[in-house]
Amino acid sequence: MLAHFFKGQQASLLKTGYSNAISNELRFFFGSVEDLLIHDLYVLVALAEQQSNSERLKQGITQVLSIIDGQHQPWLNGMDLLEDAQQNKHLLSTGCERIDFLLQGGLREGHLTELVGPSSSGKTQVCLQVASNVAKEYSGSVVFFDTGNSFSPKRIEQILGQLSDHSDIEVKLLFVASSFYVYHSYVRYHVCPCNPFLKPPFNILQSNKLLEQVMNNIVCHPVFDIFTLLDVLHQLESKLRSQGGSKVRLLIVDSISSLITPILGGSGAQGHALMISAGFLLKELAHRHNLSAVVTNHMVGGEGGTLKPALGESWKSMPHVRLHLFRDSKSSICNMSILRHPYIVSSFAHMIL
Amino acid sequence: MEVSRLPISASQRGKLVSAGYSSLSSLSSISPSHLATELKISENEALEILKAASHGCRLDSFEGSHAIVNGAQTAWEMLQDEDMLTRITTSCTDLDNILGGGISCKEVTEIGGVPGIGKTQLGYLFAILDFCINLELLLLLRGNRNYRIQLAVNVQIPADYGGLGGKAIYIDTEGSFMVERAMQIAEACIKDMLEYDGLLRKDSQTRHLKMQPKELLGNIFYFRICSYTEQIAMINFLEKFVSEHRDVKVVIIDSITLHFRQDFDDMALRTRVLSGMALKLMKLAKTFSLAVVLLNQVTTKYSEGSFHLSLALGDSWSHACTNRVILYWNGNERYAYIDKSPSLRSASAPYSVTAKGIRSLASNSKRIKMM
Repeated sequence: MLAHFFKGQQASLLKTGYSNAISNELRFFFGSVEDLLIHDLYVLVALAEQQSNSERLKQGITQVLSIIDGQHQPWLNGMDLLEDAQQNKHLLSTGCERIDFLLQGGLREGHLTELVGPSSSGKTQVCLQVASNVAKEYSGSVVFFDTGNSFSPKRIEQILGQLSDHSDIEVKLLFVASSFYVYHSYVRYHVCPCNPFLKPPFNILQSNKLLEQVMNNIVCHPVFDIFTLLDVLHQLESKLRSQGGSKVRLLIVDSISSLITPILGGSGAQGHALMISAGFLLKELAHRHNLSAVVTNHMVGGEGGTLKPALGESWKSMPHVRLHLFRDSKSSICNMSILRHPYIVSSFAHMIL
Repeated sequence: MEVSRLPISASQRGKLVSAGYSSLSSLSSISPSHLATELKISENEALEILKAASHGCRLDSFEGSHAIVNGAQTAWEMLQDEDMLTRITTSCTDLDNILGGGISCKEVTEIGGVPGIGKTQLGYLFAILDFCINLELLLLLRGNRNYRIQLAVNVQIPADYGGLGGKAIYIDTEGSFMVERAMQIAEACIKDMLEYDGLLRKDSQTRHLKMQPKELLGNIFYFRICSYTEQIAMINFLEKFVSEHRDVKVVIIDSITLHFRQDFDDMALRTRVLSGMALKLMKLAKTFSLAVVLLNQVTTKYSEGSFHLSLALGDSWSHACTNRVILYWNGNERYAYIDKSPSLRSASAPYSVTAKGIRSLASNSKRIKMM
């Protein structure tokens, strides 16, 4: 590890001419950069002095520490953050007026949003809807990681044909405190009926060209295990870092819980660790590259037969925004309520109490 | 930490991290024997780790295409592909209509219903239909059993007749595959094709349908599963089997449920095993463009103050499939209801199970109810 560390810093170290020798000696002495970091500096120096080559070791230690110091992130003050938020973290409209109203504008870039709901509550439909809208209205790229073969290009085509066609559902604001969740506000929306045998109603996307262009903005990658997910997320990260070209505005993982459930629980914490690193990776991507990340989660039976979001307590704190979806039995009307939101929650807090 | 994404065991990862290897590139220029001594593991293990790491590195450094993620397809490309995709007919026009033309390849479809509703029939149907023409979802409709068998038959309908001309894998966990019934449906299927031939190709006398019912049955690969360990092993083995038999177009599991409803004390373990299995089937469907049809049993569930029927295996399993079709009785008629689908709207349609398999209800075809 130390050897590699020095390799990475070759440019500066080669000038000094003794990098290899030092790295070898330090390596023999400590083993890893982490060892070096967790020891007290005075202890290190004292240790080094007992060795025959103490001078060079001390030099090496100082050098390693200065390299490490150079790697920290710059600090930002509140004004910088505000500016960053205003310039880079836009709200992405979902293409559904009612959902936008509930979220005070839409999904925020930089946020990790989680849609949680029972089977057939409209999670995938919301994902497809948002993907279509972002690809069309913002001409931004959308990356869709699909774990259940549920990405339907036909449905996207339909949604694109219908995007302006929303009307007639009132938004209700409810303030209900239940023992489990607080419904701050609550929205009902239609999953627009579709008939695969009908051509999408033509309006905005009259030309095939435009449709092609919009649909080319959406890329889908099938993912069937957590390691593949981590791989593609890393890939995406390095691609985004190296090229400024096509701007990715939205990243969707539908659904993250089906990747994590097979490894979570049982003996050993490995599954847990993988879940957390996937979560952090998503948040890092969202923050660094100003994209909005959306994941979907399942509901499982909790105590007393009530449903609760899957993946447990430690995942709960991962998403910035948590939206609960449920569907009136056997109708096409779905409901959405906010379980967790960084700023909408607080604005209603006094009303709950 | 980059090593955390390597598909290696937790203890190996721990050893790597404590020895100071946290990035993939730190593993790039190291020899297996060196790593083995440093981590105090066998050289084989070290070799495995290095293989995994270099694979990870390759993925990262892959260049050339300007795709955002390697291996990804745009929605437009997928739309074009989907137009080329044939669906497996159910032999019941109404049912085909609500399914958007039949059972979709590349997707996992779950079909559930009370015993006797036609699930297995549908299964036979698909297996034979693959090869035959617009055979009916015969089996589907009559009881679970009917459903499945029909599927196994229908998948074989030759491409000339609107079928896939493929083969079928039938995984039987309940011992309910009746070869006599499959034979009946296959015979009916061939009869239908001959009729179709007579209608459309009156002039071309040269053309003879050489297909025999026995041939249809010969194209069904049948596996009998007697315990859940066998079932798991079977599903792990499927990928290899299908890659050797590329003409397999449908995999029918009848039923996915049986062995998991008993023998399991640890429900959390069951959930893990089942969801892992679901992912493997998804992958199979996607990679080989084949339809996976799972048949499920029903159970009663208590909610909102009353008992009602729902499919077995619980809430977390309900997320596992792409599409979900529920078969139920409405009076004396059998109905199929689309409970869940990313691309189809909820709808129900009646069907009947006849000697020939699953067919439309004779009376009228206006009963399709779109929700």
